[in-house]
Parts: sequence; C-alpha cells; structure tokens
Amino acid sequence: MIEIRDGKIGYKKVLIQIENIQLQSGSIHALIGANGAGKSTLLSSLTGEIELLDGEVLIAQKNLKTISDRVRSRLIAFVESSFSGVEFLALEDYVLLGRSPYTDTFGRNTREDKRIANEAISLFGLDKYRNTYTSKLSDGERQLAAIARAIAQDTPIILLDEPTAFLDYGNRKRLIAELKKIASEKTKCILFSTHDIELCIEEQIPVLLIDQETQQLIQSNELMSKTDILLKGFNLIS
Amino acid sequence: MSSKNRYSFLFLVLSFALLLFMLVHLFSGQLEINLSDFCKSILEFDKSNTSQLIAREFRIPRMITALLAGAGLSLAGLLMQTLFNNPLAGPYVLGINTGSSLFVAASMMLGFSFFITDAGLLLTAVVGAIVFGFIILVFSLFVRSHVALLLIGLMLGSFTGAIITAIQATTSAQQLKAFTMWTMGSLQQTRFDQLPVFLFIFFTAVILTLFLIKPLNALVLGERSTEILGFNLKRLRVLTILVTAILSGVITAFCGPIAFVGLAVPNMTKMLFKTTSQHILLFGTMLMGSLFLLFVDTIIQLCENHFLLPLNVFTSIIGAPIIIFIIIKRMA
Repeated sequence: MIEIRDGKIGYKKVLIQIENIQLQSGSIHALIGANGAGKSTLLSSLTGEIELLDGEVLIAQKNLKTISDRVRSRLIAFVESSFSGVEFLALEDYVLLGRSPYTDTFGRNTREDKRIANEAISLFGLDKYRNTYTSKLSDGERQLAAIARAIAQDTPIILLDEPTAFLDYGNRKRLIAELKKIASEKTKCILFSTHDIELCIEEQIPVLLIDQETQQLIQSNELMSKTDILLKGFNLIS
Repeated sequence: MSSKNRYSFLFLVLSFALLLFMLVHLFSGQLEINLSDFCKSILEFDKSNTSQLIAREFRIPRMITALLAGAGLSLAGLLMQTLFNNPLAGPYVLGINTGSSLFVAASMMLGFSFFITDAGLLLTAVVGAIVFGFIILVFSLFVRSHVALLLIGLMLGSFTGAIITAIQATTSAQQLKAFTMWTMGSLQQTRFDQLPVFLFIFFTAVILTLFLIKPLNALVLGERSTEILGFNLKRLRVLTILVTAILSGVITAFCGPIAFVGLAVPNMTKMLFKTTSQHILLFGTMLMGSLFLLFVDTIIQLCENHFLLPLNVFTSIIGAPIIIFIIIKRMA
C-alpha cells in the first residue's frame, strides 16, 4: 500500500534514509526512534505535507506527488497527537467531518455518511457520547474520537502521530490493541509513531526503527527484541 | 429537545422576531406613516405626497440598510472568527473597516472628484478593506495568540487613525464635515436608488459564502487536519478574506465604520445555537445581526425627538463588554 524508494527524508537536512520500505494493507507498524530522529517528519512526508529530499513515495503504486488533494484525502487519514476538543462541537459532528472528502459542494452529510460515522463511533464504544461536546470528553475518549474520525474517512491508510502520548497506561494499552485489531479486521495499512516500546512488544506490533547511527529506517520481518530496539534506536545497552 | 428541533425552533422564533422588528422599525419614526403609504411609495410613488416621500426616501432605505448591514457585518465577523479560529476576530477590531476609512479619507479629502461619486466611494472602501484584510491575513500567519492578533488589529486601527487625523488636519472644513459625518456610522445615508446595488453586492457575497461553508466547517479541526482532508488552505484564506472585505467594505461605504457588531453577534449566535456548524451559524448569525441593528436603530429613531445618538455609541456600549466577557471566559 505504501512504498518508499530510495527516500531521503528531512527538512533541508537529511534525517532518515530509506532504501526500500513496503507497508502492506492489513498490516500495522510502530514507528520508533529517538526524539529528533525524524518520526514526525517521516509521517509528514507520507501525508504529502513535505516533499522528499530524494526518492519517491508510492501510494497504491502511484507517486504521491502526482495524486490530487481530493484523491489523497480518500487514501490517507492522519491523526494528530492531541485533539483538545472544541466547545459546541458534538462528537458525532466531529466524526462526521471525516466524511468531508465524500460530501457535496456544501458539505451536506447523507444518511450513508451518518451511518458510517456512527459505525466508527460504536467501534470505540463511544455511543453514549454522540451528542457530547468534544471539549467535555476525557483525553482518552478524545483520542479514540480522533481515530474514529480517521476510520470514518474510510481510507486504506491511517497514519497516527504519537497517538498514545497523552494517555494513561490503561488507555495506551487499549488503544494499541484496538489499532492492531482495526488493521487486520478492516484491512487497513496503519503506521503510528510512539515511544511505547514495551507495549508494542507485548502486543506483537512490528516495528519500523530509525537507526540513530546510520539514519537508516529498519524494517525487520521478525519482531525485533527490546535489546535491539534500544541499542539501534537509542544507543542504549540494556 | 433534539438539536435539530432546537435549531428549527430558534430559526422560527428569530424569523418571526425579524419580521416584527422590521415593522416596528418602519413605523417608529417621528412622523406617523400608515401601511398604505409604504405600499404606494414603492408601487405608485407620488412625489408630492410627503408621507410617501418620507417612506420611500428615508424609512425604507434605512430599514433595509439596517437589515443588510447587520447581517453582512455579522457574517463578515463569523467568517473571520472561523478563518482565524479566534472568537475575538471581526472586521472592525482587526482593522478591515479602518482600511476602508483610510482609503475613503484619502480619496475624499485629497480631492479626486471621481471618488465623490457612489461608485468611487464603494470602490475605494472595498479596495481599502481588501488591502487591510490581506495585511491582517499575513500577520495571522505569524501570530498564534488570539489576543495578540486582536492587539495587532487595534494597533493597526490606531496607526491608520493617526494618518486619517493628519489628512483631516490639512483639509477644508467642508470636506472635513462630510467625512466626519461618515465616520460616525449611520444607517440614514443610503438612498432608495442605491438599494439595488447594495442588495446585489450583499447577496453575491452571501452566495459566495455558501461555497466556503464546507472547508470552513473543517477548519474547526485545525489547519493541518483541514489540509489533510483535501482542502486547499491558501485558496480558502484568500477567498474568505475577499468575501469578508467585500461585505465590510460595501457596508462601510454606505454606513461608515460600525463598531463591534461583527465581533459581538457571531459570539452571541454561537452561544444561542450551541454549535460549530457553519450551515447553522451562517444563517443564524445573519438573522441575529439584522435583529441587533434593527433593535439598536429603532431605539435611535425613538430618541430622535430629544437627541441624536450616533449608531457607534450603541454598538460600542453593547459590543465592548462582550469582548471583555469573552476574554475573561475563554482566555483566563
């Protein structure tokens, strides 16, 4: 689904070098690397917000650069690391905004849009908050709501920037398990950046690791051990 | 009550109130004019009939002007608040009106005869609003804080005000008087024969706005998410500022700079409707804006026998406390 070929990623200065990475639909990967290693930059390169310094990103075999905004919005959803909620914006309306790529010129939601949005809300057990203002939800609920919006966007690819950063331990674990389930059940290609190495190992999530020394992005077919991750990603010997 | 029923109920009440206010406003002048004179003044106008003349040349234009100016300024305010994601934005406080004032002052008092015509005044006011609209747009790209943007807008206003004063100091008494009258803000300057132009530009702007609803709705998610949902942010910014500037420029040309309406009304509307949906807010804000100006101007009309209050006295008395309230509630 996502392929990066001979990619050099960064703003002006190269942060990550990628020979060839392929992420299939139905798979989930955790993007792990030290602060400043370029996790967010890589995600921004995959959403098309910044261009590669070299090489290319292919989305469903098409060069990302040649994909129009409208088509791209039906291929890639993105979840920011925090959503602080908005007064008077009810959860259902928030999730419905994820349907924007499919609505008419005036943004009117059809019955089908509502069905899809509510299905995404149910997926996370948020039904009882449908009419609650997003500003009144807890951090954990809001993060789930943000992912529900990405699901409602109905894209084959979902990228998440540190979705667990502002959550407590229980919510982190639940969220990662939920993402894994969604990837396989809905055959989505999910990539999320995170510092929760232990949780990813526990949940058996494959890792994309930014090697601190060589700036290479490492994708291993087997699950990486914690020792490997700490050594290559963080220069730590455990 | 479900939110859908609630919106319908509110729209029904507001529309009814608007109709009522329109009638009260029409009939609340010093001279009593009956309904048939109003009808005749439009359908079979007789110049020699004083009642009809007053109805046609004063009452009707003034009522329509209140309707359009209230709705238009509030809509402009809503657009700016949504675009900048800032409840403290509005065409007056962010200096868009000031742009119109500066350009009108320069053209009126530095004496280009073209600019004394209707078309000239309209054009200068709109161009001034557009220029200042883009200045504030550029500032908004660098300033993240809501209050900071408000301060920049106010400073822009002070700065421009100083230039206008300097122009005034060097001008003849007659030109000065015309300009000073204009800056007081008034709904009485529009003539009957100017209404078609006013209506045309107003409705053009409203129709353009309908096409901005969808991306503006998404903006509540933040600029980044809006772009990822496939919207072109640059185009959205430029179009929104253009529509805002056209609305506030035209209204400023006809009525002079009117303070605070654009800031206060959208905030009141949001509190009443309790939604962020631009579909609802767009029409709600326009209704509320018309109601607000009709209400204020009816009071002014009723007091006219005793004393003449400028419009801005009222809008400021109501508007300024609302700003303080928002700052305390949202920022503290």
